[in-house]
Amino acid sequence: MKQEIFLGNGAIALGLMEAGCQVMTSYPGTPSSEILPEVIRLVKSENLNTYVEWSTNEKVALDNAFAAAISGKRAACCMKQVGLNVAADTLMSAVYMGTVGGLVIISCDDPGPHSSQTEQDTRFMARLAKIPILDPATPEEARKMVGLAMELSEEFRIPFILRPAIRVCHARQDLAWDKLTNNPKKASFEKDPGRWAATPRFRFILHGELNKKLAAIGERFSDLSNINYHNLEEGKRYPLGIIASGVPFAAIQDILTDEKRDHIPLLKLGAPYPLPKRLTDEFMKACDKVLVLEETDTLIEYLLGDNQKVFGRISGHVPSEGELLPQVIFDCLNKILVEMKLEPFAHKGNTEINELVQNLGLPIRKPTLCPGCPHRASFFTIRKGRPKAIFTSDIGCYTLGLNLGAVDTVLDMGAAITMASGFYHAYKQDGVDQPVVATIGDSTFYHSGTAGLLNAVYNDARFILVVLDNLITAMTGMQPTPGIGIRADGSKGKAIPLERVIKGCGIDFIKEVDPYDTKAMGALMKEATQYVASPDGGIAVIIARHPCIIAYRGEAVPERIPVEITDDCNECNLCLDRFECPALYHDDTLGRASVNQALCVQCGVCLQVCPQGAIVRNAE
Amino acid sequence: MENMNMIFCGLGGQGILFMTKIFARAALEKGLHTLGAETHGMAQRGGSVVSHLKLGPAASSLVREQTARFLLALEENEAYRNLPFLAPGGTIYVNAEKDAFPRKEVSPYMKKQGITYHAFPAQKAAMALKNPMSTNLALMGFFAAYENEPFTHDELRETIISVSPERFRENNLKVFDAGFEFQP
Repeated sequence: MKQEIFLGNGAIALGLMEAGCQVMTSYPGTPSSEILPEVIRLVKSENLNTYVEWSTNEKVALDNAFAAAISGKRAACCMKQVGLNVAADTLMSAVYMGTVGGLVIISCDDPGPHSSQTEQDTRFMARLAKIPILDPATPEEARKMVGLAMELSEEFRIPFILRPAIRVCHARQDLAWDKLTNNPKKASFEKDPGRWAATPRFRFILHGELNKKLAAIGERFSDLSNINYHNLEEGKRYPLGIIASGVPFAAIQDILTDEKRDHIPLLKLGAPYPLPKRLTDEFMKACDKVLVLEETDTLIEYLLGDNQKVFGRISGHVPSEGELLPQVIFDCLNKILVEMKLEPFAHKGNTEINELVQNLGLPIRKPTLCPGCPHRASFFTIRKGRPKAIFTSDIGCYTLGLNLGAVDTVLDMGAAITMASGFYHAYKQDGVDQPVVATIGDSTFYHSGTAGLLNAVYNDARFILVVLDNLITAMTGMQPTPGIGIRADGSKGKAIPLERVIKGCGIDFIKEVDPYDTKAMGALMKEATQYVASPDGGIAVIIARHPCIIAYRGEAVPERIPVEITDDCNECNLCLDRFECPALYHDDTLGRASVNQALCVQCGVCLQVCPQGAIVRNAE
Repeated sequence: MENMNMIFCGLGGQGILFMTKIFARAALEKGLHTLGAETHGMAQRGGSVVSHLKLGPAASSLVREQTARFLLALEENEAYRNLPFLAPGGTIYVNAEKDAFPRKEVSPYMKKQGITYHAFPAQKAAMALKNPMSTNLALMGFFAAYENEPFTHDELRETIISVSPERFRENNLKVFDAGFEFQP
C-alpha cells in the first residue's frame, strides 16, 4: 500500500483505474481537466492498457465512450458541467438504449461559479435524462463512488453519472492505494437493431424498460448504506433534521462536530437520484422540520415535494446562487436554530471583520492575459484596426480580451462565429453594414467552430474571423489540440492544420500572421476589411499564430527585448488601458508609466504600442 | 493532534499551489491526514488565489472563517482579504515590509482577537537572489524559522528537496535558506 496525496481529480482517475476502466474520453474544462492526465499518469506508471483520448468536444467524447461500453468494455467520459450541455443529445438517447459494459459519465460542477458560464446543477440534467447520479463529498468518496457507479452501470445496464463539484475536483487528500491491473474484457458488440438503432416504436418500449430500471435502482439506493445513510435513533422524534448531499455534506459534518451538535440527525444522500424514497420517508417522518443542503439547485427539495416541512432554497433559508461555503451553511443553520427557538451557536460568525475588510478598499483582482501573451498583441491590433466593430468572442483565455475593450460577447463554445453571422444579418436587414470581428481560440475552433462557419459561409455573412492560434488549449491547463497533432498521452497523432479545415468550410481568404508583429497584423486587418466589403468578397479569416507564453516558454519569446519607459511618457495611459500588460503600471511618484521588471517577459511588443515612443529598448 | 487549519494566499502565478503542496507533503510525512482546497482555472491568470489546508480528521476541504491557525500571504492585500479566516490567537506570515504591516484599520481587531503577525519582504529577498518567482520559498523559509508545530525547519527543507524538480532544486533551497536566515 502506498500513501499519496491526490488531487480530487486524481482520486477519480484512481477510482476509474481500480474499476478496470478500459476506455476514457474527455474534453478539457475547469474543474474536470486533470482527470484524464491523471489517468494517463497511472496508465504509464502502472503499465496499464487503458485507451485514452482528448476528443474534439464533449459530444464526440461521449459517443466514443458509449460505443466502447456497448461493445462490453468499461468506459468513462468526463467533462465540465456546461460540456454536458454539448453532450446532451447523446445523453438523452444513450440512457434509453442502455449499455452492456459499465459507462460512467463524470460531469464536474462549478458552484461559485469560479471558472464557468453558469452554476448549473448536473443533477438536474440527470433527472431530465433519467440517469442515476452519485454526488461525492470528498476525493476519497469520489474514488469509491466511481467504482460503485461502474458496477451498478453494468448490473443495471444503464449509464451512471458521477457529479463531483469543484471542491471535490480541486481538493487534495491523502489516499492509500495498491497495485492496479488491466481489465481483460474484450470488445464484442452484439447486433440488436431494436435497441442500438431503435425507431420511435421501439423507443417507447425502451422508455418503459428505463422506468423499470430506475424504480429498481431507487430501491437499491435505499440500501446503499455506505453512501445513503442517516443516524436516527429508533423511535425518537426530532424537532430538526438535516439532509445533505455532495460537498455541503462534508461541510455540515464538520460544523456539527466542531460545534458539538451531533444530536441533530443527518441524512446523507450520496446517491440523490433516483431518490431513495424508503430512506427519505423514514427521515422525514422522524423530523418535524428538515433543512436541505445541496449544490447548486433544488433537486432533493423538488423530489421530496414537501413544502411545509422543508427549509431550503424554496423557503428562502438557503441562498439560491453561489457556493455553500462552510460559513454560509453555518449562518443558514444558525438562523434556523434562532427561528425555531432551538439553542443557537455560541459565537455568531464573523460580520465585524468581514465589514472591516470590505471597507479597506482592497484592489479588485481581475484576471488578465499573461505578460507576453500573444492574444494581447492580437486584441490590441484588432481594436485599433476596427474600433467601431462589434467584437464577438468565445470561451478560453482570450475571453480576457474584455480588459482591452476588444471583446463584447461571450456566449458559449463556438458562439464567436455564430453570433458574428447573427449580428451581420440583423444589421444587414436594415441596410447597415455593421463591422463585426470574431475571435476564437484554436481548441475552441476545433470544438465547435466549423458548423457555425459553414453556416455563415453558406448564408453569405460578412465579417472578419481571427483565429487566435497559440498551439495549445491554454486556459484549462495546456492540453494539446488537433492542430499540433500530439495526442493526450504525448504520442503522435495526425495533425490537422486550421488552414485545411477553414478552407474546407468554404473560406477563400485565409492569411496567417504572427501577432507579435502588430504592423503586419494591422496591414492584414486592412486587407481583410476590404475583402469583407467587396462584392466578390466574403468572410476573411486571419490566423494569428504565436505559441502560448506559458506552454512554450522558450520559443514564445525568440528574442529577449528588455524595455524601459522614458520621460517622454505623457500619461495618456494607452499602454495601460488598451494594451493592459500586467508588467506595465502607472508610477505615481515618477508621474509616468513604468515597467515591473519582475513580471516583464521581455517580449518587446509594447515597443510598438506607445504613440509617444516613450517605451524604448533598454540598452543594458 | 486536533485539526489544524491553514490558509495560503496571494496572486495567480506566485506559486501558491506549490507552497500548499510542500506543507501537505510535510504533514503527510509525519503521518497526518491532509485535506486541502485549491484555486485553478481563470483566477490563476493574475487573480486572487487562495488555498485551504486542513491537517487531521476533517471531512470538508474548506476552512471555515475564524478557524485557521496560520495565514501565509504572498501579497499584503491578499493577507487582509483573507483575515476573516484566522482564528483568535492565529498568526500571519506576510510578504511585506515590517513597518508597512498591518494597516491601522485592522490593528484593533487583530489585537482583540490575539492575532499576531510576522512581516518579511519575501519578494525582495527572492529578487536579491535573482529568483523573482520564488517569493513563496522565501516566505516558507521565514515561516520555518519560527518552528511552528507540527512543522520543523528540517522537515520543510527536506520536503522542498524531494518535491522540487531537479533543475530548480538548488535555487529553491537558496531562497528558502535566505528566508530562514532573515533577521527581523
